[in-house]
Amino acid sequence: MDFKGLKQGYKINVKTSIEVVEGILINDKKDILVLKLNNGYNIGIEKSNIRDIRVVEKSEMVSNPNGKKIELNKNLPKILILHTGGTIASRVDYKTGAVHASFEPEQLIEMFPELHEIANIDSVFIGNIWSDDLRFKHITLIAKEIEKNISKGYKGIIISMGTDNLAVGAAALSFAIENSNIPIIFVGAQRSSDRGSSDAGVNLVCAASFVCNSNYRGVAICMHSKSSDITCDIFSATKTKKLHTSRRDAFQNINTESIAMVDYKTGKVSMKQENYSSGEMKILPEFEDKVAILKIHINMNLEQFKFYKGYKGLIIEGTGLGQIPFTKNDGVTEEHEKIRQALKEVIESGTVVVMTSNCIFGRVNMDVYKPARELQELGVIPGEDMLTETAFVKLAWLLKNHPNQVKELIGKNICGEISSRTMYQNISQFN
Amino acid sequence: MTEKNLEEDSKYYNELGFKAGLEIHQQLETHKLFCKCPSLVNDPNKADIKFERRFRSVLSEKGEKDIVAEFEMQKNKVIRYEACSSSSCLVEYDEEPPHSINKYALNIALEIATLFNAEIVDEIQIMRKAVVDGSVTSGFQRTMLIAKRGYIKTSLGNVHIDTVCLEEEAAKKLSEDSNYITYRLDRLGVPLVEIATAPEIKTPEHAKECASIIGMILRSTNKVKRGIGTIRQDVNLSIRGHPRIEIKGFQELKSMPKVIENEVKRQIEDIKNKTLKAEVRKANVDFTTTFQRPMPGAARMYPETDHVPIKISEEMLENISRPELITEKTISLEKKYKISSVLAEEIIKNKINFEDYVSKLENIEPEFIARVLVEYPKQIKTKYNLEIKYDIYSILDLYNNRKISKEAVLEIMVELNATGRRLDEISKKYLSVDEEEVKKEIKKIILDLESEDKEPKMNEVMGRLMEKYRGKIDGKRAVELIKIILKS
Repeated sequence: MDFKGLKQGYKINVKTSIEVVEGILINDKKDILVLKLNNGYNIGIEKSNIRDIRVVEKSEMVSNPNGKKIELNKNLPKILILHTGGTIASRVDYKTGAVHASFEPEQLIEMFPELHEIANIDSVFIGNIWSDDLRFKHITLIAKEIEKNISKGYKGIIISMGTDNLAVGAAALSFAIENSNIPIIFVGAQRSSDRGSSDAGVNLVCAASFVCNSNYRGVAICMHSKSSDITCDIFSATKTKKLHTSRRDAFQNINTESIAMVDYKTGKVSMKQENYSSGEMKILPEFEDKVAILKIHINMNLEQFKFYKGYKGLIIEGTGLGQIPFTKNDGVTEEHEKIRQALKEVIESGTVVVMTSNCIFGRVNMDVYKPARELQELGVIPGEDMLTETAFVKLAWLLKNHPNQVKELIGKNICGEISSRTMYQNISQFN
Repeated sequence: MTEKNLEEDSKYYNELGFKAGLEIHQQLETHKLFCKCPSLVNDPNKADIKFERRFRSVLSEKGEKDIVAEFEMQKNKVIRYEACSSSSCLVEYDEEPPHSINKYALNIALEIATLFNAEIVDEIQIMRKAVVDGSVTSGFQRTMLIAKRGYIKTSLGNVHIDTVCLEEEAAKKLSEDSNYITYRLDRLGVPLVEIATAPEIKTPEHAKECASIIGMILRSTNKVKRGIGTIRQDVNLSIRGHPRIEIKGFQELKSMPKVIENEVKRQIEDIKNKTLKAEVRKANVDFTTTFQRPMPGAARMYPETDHVPIKISEEMLENISRPELITEKTISLEKKYKISSVLAEEIIKNKINFEDYVSKLENIEPEFIARVLVEYPKQIKTKYNLEIKYDIYSILDLYNNRKISKEAVLEIMVELNATGRRLDEISKKYLSVDEEEVKKEIKKIILDLESEDKEPKMNEVMGRLMEKYRGKIDGKRAVELIKIILKS
């Protein structure tokens, strides 16, 4: 059988050894033709069973339907939405089952009509990548786009991003855009936008409400407070971690409290912190590429440390207060002696090494135990109460933009990544 | 209904242009379809998890007026959910992607498809059927076409089975007001098989027949849930000149013909009054139907991207079991032992090894064995609220050897269970007495009655005799003995 003349969206009549099936061609896979039947179901037909195919109608897949023209509301502020991935709006064409991502303001407002009551929306499509593919170059691109638009009278900017690296993306941007004079809010969705239950709408609408109903300046994240579609939290860009693979309330504050809470229905903002930046805005969008994270675990090998010789920066995510396997205690721990030597060589090669903790919550303290004191003597710098990923982007940013002050600035707070006091926080996050 | 009536019935509905098809939903006896939660349809526990959601329509509006209208109605409502952690997990809360499909459920669906002689598809594509009323936390119901073009044999010829689908059950609605709709999630995700017939049903009575054949075939697998609410029958029907009506919520199969007859009458009136509307109607207890909601448009489906399509392998096809249908088994039992079809079906349903009982208890008629095994436990349950836990065979064996009377069987069953004492202890009381002793007693009762100036009537004598020997003598035999003595 020849399957060459077939296009997606064609209505075809397929004759197999046992039956005749009519439907819309959805997918032409290696061994299987996927057809949408009149009753809405898709089925797969094995190509080897097909005897004949007749094209009934040469209709193409419906292209992305355009939204209606939106009238500006002069009384409302303007918001710019930058799309980088993690599609926040999708439409499903029920005839073919195809999912179309929506990026235009008209489409966004069609999906989320509440937005139109909050602000006038502009949007820029930067890209649509999996956030797992995020690189520093993307952060640079976003920072430059913001630089281009920040003085155009926007009340704030909302950035859509896939959630896996949303927190680290936000952290990186908050170093790149120091002391932003408007709110720059990251939003994502834990449930894809092609389902009626997606959390994208509530996150986006809450972000827009926050932009318009607060005087916040700087980068932050807006995601669900709880499983319910009632409120969103505004999370610090540098002290937030995705703590759950799939829940809507996966994003949680680490070593800090939320900046604010936004009520979805009313748009009311309850500020919880007022100590955000007020300095002069500075945009330094570049990052050093040769920086890495090494996660400490039991039974480590010498090679795992040697590998980083020549790197500009290395974050070690140690255990507890900031430990690594570093001591020969008995007959089977000789490797640790060698690790000590290898790490010494890494530091002597010029790599800046910073210690964070795999505990997630709390602060490293490298004065308590002897091995950690010795690590400090070697030149390892304690990362205070910074999240590993935040320390990582900060180190890369410092190495690029303040190469002579890296060791001095890494342990000092720049944009909320380090708190001077470790406050009591309820760390049983999920309930 | 006699054959002649059937024929007339058929002719009448044919002339009306009667067109009807069934959609039968049957819950499967296995854990949930896309997670490992148990299928507790009515979890007895208190809800320990509560949350609220809002839904949006994700469908493109082109030509989709109905869904838009439907959505408009719901849009300002907040959906409240209650769940028990004993019967639900993050999958039901739409807080985790579906786990891989329940292979056992898929296997049952394939088995059912085979029993309906349907053609299984080469590759199953899991679909999302858009739902905006909140009854599914994701905003869509997962459903998949397993097989098509099957048939069942009926008294009025073959009726085709258009599709056999496997899908997940929706949540149960608890309440609704102008602001909130509340659902409970126990039932959400329970695997369902949906059997849809072609619109080839010829009469109201025929609809009931088809539904009962389909139900019987489903039960034959022994892998479907039983009891109220575990199977639901919807009827699609119209007569010439009337748009399609879907009737939901039949309380019992028995009511189906009457409800359809009334619905046909209603459609005839509709045509006269020119009030023609396609709609979903609810079957009422008084056999009428009432409007439920407008007929939804064509199913709004798009592919489930969280799960890969399932290719049906040779191995899967080879592993499909093909159980003997319940009817085949019951008919053979009925004929062989001359027992009623009701008893025969119960014996098959309860997986009783009846042949074994009959061969060992050769002095008892099979019909009585069947009644003791099937009906007595039910009677005892209704009357005394006792579950039968002990070995019925041992009691029957006493009767088989005529150590006890027939009447004693039921009484011993009750007493054994109520007291928890041993069978040999209890049965002592019921051991049959010697006939000579009974005769003496009858004579004594007659004399007693005469001395009391009463006429020794059968009932009087029997009453006094049974007072003394209840359970120890066979009632029938006692009557015979009294008759003989009274005549003499």
